[in-house]
Amino acid sequence: MNAEPRLELETPERVAVSLELAGLGARAFAWLLDALLVFLCWMMAFFVYSFWGDLLRRWQALSVAGQFLGVGAVVMTGWGWDVAWELLAGGRTPGKRAMGLRVVRIDGGPVGLAESLGRNLLRAVELPLGYAPGILMVALGPRRQRAGDLVAGTLVVRERRFDLSRYGAVPADRERFAPLRGRAPALLSAAEYDRLVDFLRRRPELEGEARGRLAARLAAAFARRAALAPPSGADAEPFLEALVAFYAEGA
Amino acid sequence: MSRERNVAAFVRARRAAWERLDALVARVGLEPLSLAEVEELDRLYRRTAGDLAWARSAFPGSDAEGYLAQLTGRAFGVLYRRRRGLAAAAALVRHEIPAAFARSRGAFLLALGLLVAGIAGGALAVAFEPEAATLLVPVGIRDAVAAGRVWTDDLLAVAPGVGGSIIVRNNVTVASLAFAGGLTGGLLTAGLLLGNGLVLGAVGAFAWQGGQGRSFLAFVAAHGPAELLALLLAAQGGLHVAGALVRPGEAPRGALLAARGREASRLLVVVAPLLVLLGVVEASVSPGTGWAPWAKAALGASLAAGTLAWLWRGRTDA
Repeated sequence: MNAEPRLELETPERVAVSLELAGLGARAFAWLLDALLVFLCWMMAFFVYSFWGDLLRRWQALSVAGQFLGVGAVVMTGWGWDVAWELLAGGRTPGKRAMGLRVVRIDGGPVGLAESLGRNLLRAVELPLGYAPGILMVALGPRRQRAGDLVAGTLVVRERRFDLSRYGAVPADRERFAPLRGRAPALLSAAEYDRLVDFLRRRPELEGEARGRLAARLAAAFARRAALAPPSGADAEPFLEALVAFYAEGA
Repeated sequence: MSRERNVAAFVRARRAAWERLDALVARVGLEPLSLAEVEELDRLYRRTAGDLAWARSAFPGSDAEGYLAQLTGRAFGVLYRRRRGLAAAAALVRHEIPAAFARSRGAFLLALGLLVAGIAGGALAVAFEPEAATLLVPVGIRDAVAAGRVWTDDLLAVAPGVGGSIIVRNNVTVASLAFAGGLTGGLLTAGLLLGNGLVLGAVGAFAWQGGQGRSFLAFVAAHGPAELLALLLAAQGGLHVAGALVRPGEAPRGALLAARGREASRLLVVVAPLLVLLGVVEASVSPGTGWAPWAKAALGASLAAGTLAWLWRGRTDA
């Protein structure tokens, strides 16, 4: 069903868990977002710098500890951005969070300091080459790891947002399609139910003719399965609504 | 336990438990859980893993299955992760980092050999062929020495913090390249060691010839030893990784690369903070005469020797 490469793990409870590996596009976009945020941080720092003209003198008046912290902060934005976020935010920099990505260890666990340092310091060779090796490795590698991931033993996985409310009650004209009552659960598989809900939810976005054609074909297919006459054009969508509603309330 | 055959009924019956598990998993690591909550987490995880197995067989390809697979995966990662926090940090410092050093001691000695060869080569080249200095010694330093000026005092002219951050960035770049150069089979790493050694040896010999040998030594005494050690450790990691590519033995290259990479990454945990610390030392302690030369030398020697002594007692079987 899903052609994306996945990482398969088995838990001690003998349940197979599989993680969806992130693709090139999402990762590149996440990197771009992070780069933009780091750039904004530098712009802010520059703004503050120009705002306080004699920042240099203020700086020299700081204690050694204060200067140490300042140096640390500068290094952090350039080199530590990814490491800090990956450690403190469960493997997600702001860019990765926005794209629904997460860095995990190769066994599915959260990344630690050594792993994060390893995978991010290797950017030092990948960035000057325009990430070309990384792009090839993510696009072609079986586990979609760039050099840093390979060395540090990490993966970037994609987390989807699922909406469980689709399994709740659905409004429909139940009386009109009473022959379907009690039979819907036998007529639909779970995956077919999901796709029907998807269609019903998205139909306002569909262009009129395509929407009618799709609804008619779906309704005809399920009516045939139920040994009923295919509903007429205008009835196709109410028929599908009723089918979904009866399925959702079936025990 | 009877299972619902209808995905909607199944989700309605279980949804509250799953969402409770989701909420508990999200809190792990951010705030402490009570004992009752930990027990609840464990119970909910087992139940959800069972639900996932059922969804796999009864509702393949449904969103319910996808949701459960993702939730179980996250809970699994949280429940079965290795120790973290203070205990993990203590184990890292006491055993894992020295052990990673011990397992790649050969790479350390190779890196040391390359650096020493570079330093000797640079010093000898300048000593026997003064023209070599025009090639190896940066022009700013040549001018300063020719004018009888102590060039290292220039670092005092910029604010300590600004100089420090430039030095840190520079050192981190060199160390990162030395580490990452392992992926080139160690060629880049070896080139960096030789090249930095050449320049260092040449600058030293040039300063000596110009009558500034003492001030050069005084300048590098505080940060030099530990900075070279940090470079050597990064290069050691790089060469350790390179060994997996060049001489994998009977192991598959990919698997060995991952294993060696994890070990080498432990060395970076030493290198990164060391370089930040040294950047501060190099910008504030090293230039000028604020610190007596013997104090600088003592600081530099103890920094490097302390780090090395801690690493050297590592055991390969740890």
